[in-house]
Amino acid sequence: MQTIIECRGVSFSYGAGEILRDINLSLGKGKMLGILGANGAGKSTLLKILTGILKAQKGSVLFNDRPLKSYDRREVAKRIAYIPQDPVFAFPFTVSEVILMGRAPYIGRFEFEREIDLEAAGRAMDTVGITHLRDRLITETSSGERQLASIARALVQEPQVMILDEPATFLDIKHRNEIMNLLRKLRDEHGILIIAATHDIFTALFYFDEIIMIKDGGVFADGSAEKVINRENLSSLYGIDVTVRREGGKVFIYPGD
Amino acid sequence: MIAKRKFIISLSILILLWAVTAVVSVLSGTYEKSLIEALLSGDELAGTIFYKIRIPRVLMATVAGGTLGICGAALQALFRNPLASPFTLGISGGASLGALIGIRLGLAAGILGFSMVSVLAFVFSLMTMLFVYSVSKVGGVVATGRLLLAGVVMNFLYSAFVLFIQFFSNFTESLQTMRWIMGSLDIVGFDEVWKTLIFVVPGCLILLSITKDMNLFGLGDDVASSLGVNVKRMQNLIYFATSLSAGAVISVTGPIGFVGLVIPHILRMILGVDNRIILPCSFLLGASFLMAADTVSRTLISPVEIPVGIITASLGGVFFLWLLIRSKKEVIV
Repeated sequence: MQTIIECRGVSFSYGAGEILRDINLSLGKGKMLGILGANGAGKSTLLKILTGILKAQKGSVLFNDRPLKSYDRREVAKRIAYIPQDPVFAFPFTVSEVILMGRAPYIGRFEFEREIDLEAAGRAMDTVGITHLRDRLITETSSGERQLASIARALVQEPQVMILDEPATFLDIKHRNEIMNLLRKLRDEHGILIIAATHDIFTALFYFDEIIMIKDGGVFADGSAEKVINRENLSSLYGIDVTVRREGGKVFIYPGD
Repeated sequence: MIAKRKFIISLSILILLWAVTAVVSVLSGTYEKSLIEALLSGDELAGTIFYKIRIPRVLMATVAGGTLGICGAALQALFRNPLASPFTLGISGGASLGALIGIRLGLAAGILGFSMVSVLAFVFSLMTMLFVYSVSKVGGVVATGRLLLAGVVMNFLYSAFVLFIQFFSNFTESLQTMRWIMGSLDIVGFDEVWKTLIFVVPGCLILLSITKDMNLFGLGDDVASSLGVNVKRMQNLIYFATSLSAGAVISVTGPIGFVGLVIPHILRMILGVDNRIILPCSFLLGASFLMAADTVSRTLISPVEIPVGIITASLGGVFFLWLLIRSKKEVIV
């Protein structure tokens, strides 16, 4: 497995108390990786560190065997795309304007989008399936449509890695399925390493190749979903009794016995 | 090339509008209608009016209106709030007090061409903006209610200080201050224009160089950062550049209200919200608007000249009310 992002002894605090402590991870290409943990476990912080938005106070993050912090901001933006949990759309840009903003790292300070940028945006809208929304104002779209627009914006960055914070938490089962299948498609057809945080066990179980469990700022367990999603781990992760029953290819998960 | 085409077309139209407004503005006023004829016949008085009064005044209106317009647009991007402007944030009030203190202390002469009055106006603008920002920000988001309230409170505080200074002034000083507080482009010669330009040119160039970053900033701090924007630096540049240029303008013209609020608003309704287009267009339309308002102020009840601040504030006030009424049906923030 070719390693793209590696964390070596990463620790982070916002001031009082460590949010992350001594994280060691090695994340490879063409995977769909779920970061599972309770609310406040440090998932979002870890994602921001992997994106380079936050800098680890201890330890280092290597991107393609080179320290992430040694990259220029725009160089990072061409390689790692980030989609937050609750995207801000402060102004009514059109959907296509939002997507074109993903081309920012490729466009000079005083330049406008070139033909290739418009083409990239067109392709991304096609891939994501929102071409019909191109002239709609982003402020007038549904949360599912916004999530798709954000993914298209991330896609035009032509990234090696796409990092998403709770991409499907606020969506119903149909739209969640749509988003997760889209991410699988990006993994398969574009070879993008997908890293997504979720606190939802079902999403983690159904859609991800590998799961990293975060508890109290540390890596608690990692491995395939089959392996790590079990009674012992889940009960410990969420602090309540969780039953995991596997019957005839189906998995039943519920609180209590 | 959609954005680029829009940029070129809207800029061309606004430059044309500016030129037409400038010509009309230069040729209208209290002097008899045939200023051109008088000029051509070598009338000395006409020449003085034309070169010493009308031209500087049109330039001042351009610089002041343009600056207030572009600063309004930049502040709206910075606060992620369409109701931010030099006036609503209390910056105008701050700059006025700073400038007034400077004038009273007799600092107008300036050092190396930099008027200390403008510097004081800049310092007060910057302080006000940082204060209003920190007060109105709740959990990383600027709350509109707090923002407007903080701005109003700052304006009240500053006007209390201004009145305090007024109280201890003699009659002549007091009258001068009154006229200045109303906002006026009543200048003679080019001195004031140059003094203002020293601050305004770098300020506006800084703002125009980060319009793309402002767009990305509209997607939130984290996304902007992940797209290569140095968010902290961008914010500091906007603080610095808007205080610098709006402070310099206000220290000469007094507080001219609502240009910075109304102009970017109108442009966004027509052109969309791309700051690469909105900022330069706000400069041009703000310049034309203030020139037109000034022309009205000179000719409405000629030969009496109404301070232009009264014109812009009444137009802007009505517009603001309309925004509020409209926002009942449609959320603007």
